[in-house]
Amino acid sequence: MASRTGPLERRKSTAGEVAPVDWEGRKAFVGFTSDDAQLLRDLRPVAEAYAGEVVEEFYRRFLSFPETRAFFADEARLNRVKAMQKQYFLGLTEGEYGEAYLRNRLEIGRVHQRIGLAPRWYMGAYSIYMQLTFPRVLAAFAHDLEKGQRAFLALLKIITLDKELAVTTYIAAGEEIITRQSQEIVEISTPVIQVWNGVVVAPLIGSLDSQRTQQFMERLLERIVETNSPVALVDITGVPTIDTQTAQHLVETITAVRLLGAQVVLTGVRPAIAQTLVHLGIDLSGISTRSSLAAGLRVAFDLLDLRVVAGAAPGARE
Amino acid sequence: MTDLLEGEIGIATESDLVVARKAVRGAADSLGFSVTDVTRIVTAASELTRNIFRYAGTGVMRWHRLERGGSLGLELTFADDGPGIGDIEQAMQAGFSSSGGLGLGLPGAKRLMDEMEIASEVGKGTTVTVRKWRRKA
Repeated sequence: MASRTGPLERRKSTAGEVAPVDWEGRKAFVGFTSDDAQLLRDLRPVAEAYAGEVVEEFYRRFLSFPETRAFFADEARLNRVKAMQKQYFLGLTEGEYGEAYLRNRLEIGRVHQRIGLAPRWYMGAYSIYMQLTFPRVLAAFAHDLEKGQRAFLALLKIITLDKELAVTTYIAAGEEIITRQSQEIVEISTPVIQVWNGVVVAPLIGSLDSQRTQQFMERLLERIVETNSPVALVDITGVPTIDTQTAQHLVETITAVRLLGAQVVLTGVRPAIAQTLVHLGIDLSGISTRSSLAAGLRVAFDLLDLRVVAGAAPGARE
Repeated sequence: MTDLLEGEIGIATESDLVVARKAVRGAADSLGFSVTDVTRIVTAASELTRNIFRYAGTGVMRWHRLERGGSLGLELTFADDGPGIGDIEQAMQAGFSSSGGLGLGLPGAKRLMDEMEIASEVGKGTTVTVRKWRRKA
């Protein structure tokens, strides 16, 4: 258990978040300078003038595709989203691009990821926005096209940064899911079950890498002590390949169990696995093995001096 | 690029060993090897990919179908740019290990397969080639 706390805890605290974002480094790479911030500030009155119609056209496109239309169930919702979209567009020319801006953009990315808007629509939406904005910016700067061009490039830079943050958020959410699931697989794939008073069974399934072996050994030893079981059956029916490393892990686990004073029966040793182990030169002569779990259970009963006796049917007992 | 009967898999993490075993199992199964032989081949592949992971860190496994005089076979090649093996004869002895393992991997893989060749140069890397032929039914 102790081995899992370090990296996992850190992971947990950043769940769904984009861990340390080098915001200044990102801006530097894109070439976003204070000049760009100033150009965007100058663009603000222009953006305020066109924001309303850009949003209307923007949603016309969204509503003309069934996949994106599905996100707007009713009129009220559409109007609410339109208002938020307008705020978002105006935010691009807000003029302050520090920590608060970054946090706001990451949150927007997370919201879109959560509602399940696929990147193709999300990224496509930015293209639609640029198409709608470009002629309007140029028109507004008709008297100074050179400045108009620089203003548009500034807008392109900040949008690129926004897009990149959105993608990063999506990837972080995906990685978070993968980490959680692989952790869950490790958890559920090494059960140790008490099948009789004094007998635990550990059915192993899949491949035994070093991390799983560690987990498995801890769990098995804990359960043996908890249930005060003198016999443990380790079943390898579900392990497709036993190579020397896996065998070494098994032997180590069995040795550890013996140190607790319990005995291990290795069950589910299939003919093909038995032959392979012989070829590999692995010595299991000191270990009690059986080809099936049922045979192993019989060995366990013998060790506990228990007998399974065929009795009369329960109804006939009295 | 990777079809069932030939392909290539990069080895860099422990989970790549699982991918490699699965690929070899698929190839051996589709060539019609017996259950025991499939297990032998997959186990040998497991040993040899693990050696790459353990000693060289990264490397590659390639496999392809063989045909010679009417019999079918499978060839597996394991190549890395790792530290190389100083004394191949010693490495082939059961019980010798430079890493605290059981020292059974390399000689074991040889016994599990029909043919094995090792080419290794210290500081340059190692290439192990193994073959298994399908016994005629």
